[in-house]
Amino acid sequence: MSNLKYRPDGKFRTPPLGPLPWIAPSLILIATWVFWPAFEMVRTSFREVSRSGLILGYVGLENYSDLIARPELVTIFARTFLWVGTIVFFTAIISLPLASLLNQKFPGLTVVRWFIILPWAASVFSTALTFRWMLNGYYGFFNTLLVDLRIIDEPIDWLGYPTVALAWMVAVAVFVSLPFTSFVLLAGLQTIPNEVREAAQVDGASPWRTYWRIVFPLLRPALLVALVINLINVFNNFPIIWVMTQGGPGNSTDVTTTFMYKLAFRMQEMGQSAALATFNFVIIFMFILLFLRVSGWNKKDEN
Amino acid sequence: MRLKRSLAGIAALAVLLAACSSGASDEAAEETSTDTSTEVAGEIPATDLYIVMAQYTDAMQPYFDDLAARFMEQYPQVNAEVEVVNWEQLNDKLATLVATGQAPDIANSNVFANFAADGLLYPAEDIVSPEVLADIVPAFLDNSKYDGVAYAVPDLASARAMFYNKEIFEQAGITTPPTTWSELETAAAAIKANVPGVFPYGIPLGPEEAQAEFMIWGGGNGGNVYQDGAWAINSAENVETMEFLKKMVDAGYTQPNPATTNRTEVFQLFGEGKIAMVNGSVFFPSVLADQGSTVEFGTGAFPHNDGKSSITLGVQDYFFGFKKEGNQAAVKAFMDFIYVPDNYLGFLEAAGGFIPATVSAGAQAANDPAIGPFIDLLPGAIFYPGDLANWPAVQTELQQKVGLALNDAPGVLGQIQALAEQG
Repeated sequence: MSNLKYRPDGKFRTPPLGPLPWIAPSLILIATWVFWPAFEMVRTSFREVSRSGLILGYVGLENYSDLIARPELVTIFARTFLWVGTIVFFTAIISLPLASLLNQKFPGLTVVRWFIILPWAASVFSTALTFRWMLNGYYGFFNTLLVDLRIIDEPIDWLGYPTVALAWMVAVAVFVSLPFTSFVLLAGLQTIPNEVREAAQVDGASPWRTYWRIVFPLLRPALLVALVINLINVFNNFPIIWVMTQGGPGNSTDVTTTFMYKLAFRMQEMGQSAALATFNFVIIFMFILLFLRVSGWNKKDEN
Repeated sequence: MRLKRSLAGIAALAVLLAACSSGASDEAAEETSTDTSTEVAGEIPATDLYIVMAQYTDAMQPYFDDLAARFMEQYPQVNAEVEVVNWEQLNDKLATLVATGQAPDIANSNVFANFAADGLLYPAEDIVSPEVLADIVPAFLDNSKYDGVAYAVPDLASARAMFYNKEIFEQAGITTPPTTWSELETAAAAIKANVPGVFPYGIPLGPEEAQAEFMIWGGGNGGNVYQDGAWAINSAENVETMEFLKKMVDAGYTQPNPATTNRTEVFQLFGEGKIAMVNGSVFFPSVLADQGSTVEFGTGAFPHNDGKSSITLGVQDYFFGFKKEGNQAAVKAFMDFIYVPDNYLGFLEAAGGFIPATVSAGAQAANDPAIGPFIDLLPGAIFYPGDLANWPAVQTELQQKVGLALNDAPGVLGQIQALAEQG
């Protein structure tokens, strides 16, 4: 690369603006659509916004202290971490064998691959809406099926009980996260040269042992990247919970994103909502640092 | 690694900038309080009017387009543009418009006190003529006050009644609809015993409209959310009411899990003949008709606790005018134009079967078989405390949580009360 800095006569050449002309458009985009809104959000969290939307001035940390004083907040944070952790965990557990399956050659492979991509291609909103209707306590498909099969006597209001509702929503979130994760893992699997496996087989390793000792360690970078991206996606996810339960009954299925929305648009506490968004921003930021670290570690390893 | 450091740096910078600029003052609050109170009504200057109206039905936009066109024929110097917004987005949209300094000149919604509290609205007497104001039903105008001054003009109202399925009542051997809680329990027991597969009473305490259901039941026990100048959400009457409802739920007299059932589902089940009694609004018959329901229904007053009296819940919506330099004369002209009798009847017709807010239109509607019975119930009506600036927030809290009060009435109602008292 460094030889580009020299003209044919060997003298040093400096581009007048450096790399700026090439990266300026993206810098402007990032500044306008990422940093400026984030800055406004943080600024709002230090301001008092009246119920009708008027900005009344700066109030220091009052929004933060009011937010922290809310009795439901601790549970909502705890639930958010549990929600994210469970989804990311189950997504990984299911995606690993799924990716290995997709890596095999069998008739109908293309069809299977298409079907696995489907939940990714469909909008999360409509997927959640479909599940909400399937789980409806009076008319839902699941209830009709289970009652007709005499597994249950009368319809169950699946989304009416916090724990059951959360379990279903985790299932929907895993369903939606599977395609991305398994395809990242599939890509990872395809970078593993066949010679390595053959060598293990020649040495007499069982398929199980080959997988855990050879394939899995080589797959780890891809897995880590998929995990962290899932972590960020799920943490920011809003539509699944909002469509299926609106965080109810009460706040019993709320996570930080849905609670943020309720604070701003239902309870008219724009300042507190911005404060919560700032907390979320900090947490996401740590996830991003984690991601950069993971992908950086990945690169070093390849070299 | 370098990327990581610079990202962290930029984030830190954003926080720092936000904290630093807190010294700068905000002019928004001062700007909007510009005094524009006195203007001669006779001369209307050239004005652009931006008007945001509620979408009661799909007929609203055509109605207002026509109205605005006729208005501009009469006042060519005024340019009136009406945007009809659906209810789900209406209040968010108004808040966003106000926050970004683009407040409309006239708006129509179910809450106004938050804007009045910020000093953004004209008093009602500045936006309609004295004749129009004198024609408004006094009880409705009383509910349009903030701090003793009317800042909004009621546009229409609705009231609730108990709808019951005549056929189910017949099968259960019930001859007259129950009027007290104990009669209700007897009737529910009869339905449960004689008509299998039917829930006697549909109680929707899900977020869609829990506050209405709560206030109707509480009102039948002498309770309210705001009484004698103070929040009374966890009053003894309301706690007793929730415990009564819990008894109904446990006895199987309601649909299971009222805390998560929304009004839409209960209406649907009533329309299919699976619920015998529900709280319905004046427009409920048209909902049933849309559903294609063939249920034969009757209406009656809500059952009340023994020794208390029956109530109905009145709900009213508002027109209000935002203070802006030089817009008052045009706002007033447009508002008066809406209340011209023929225009106002057209508005009611487009909105679809509500109770008129004016005495004159009300006298006509009293003969309407669909609306008349509801007008009869109005003298015993309780209303949402729409004159309190934090009512929208309290309403949200009720919608989210009051269903949980079935299991812990004093605790949950106490929590909501505490939030309401914070102001």
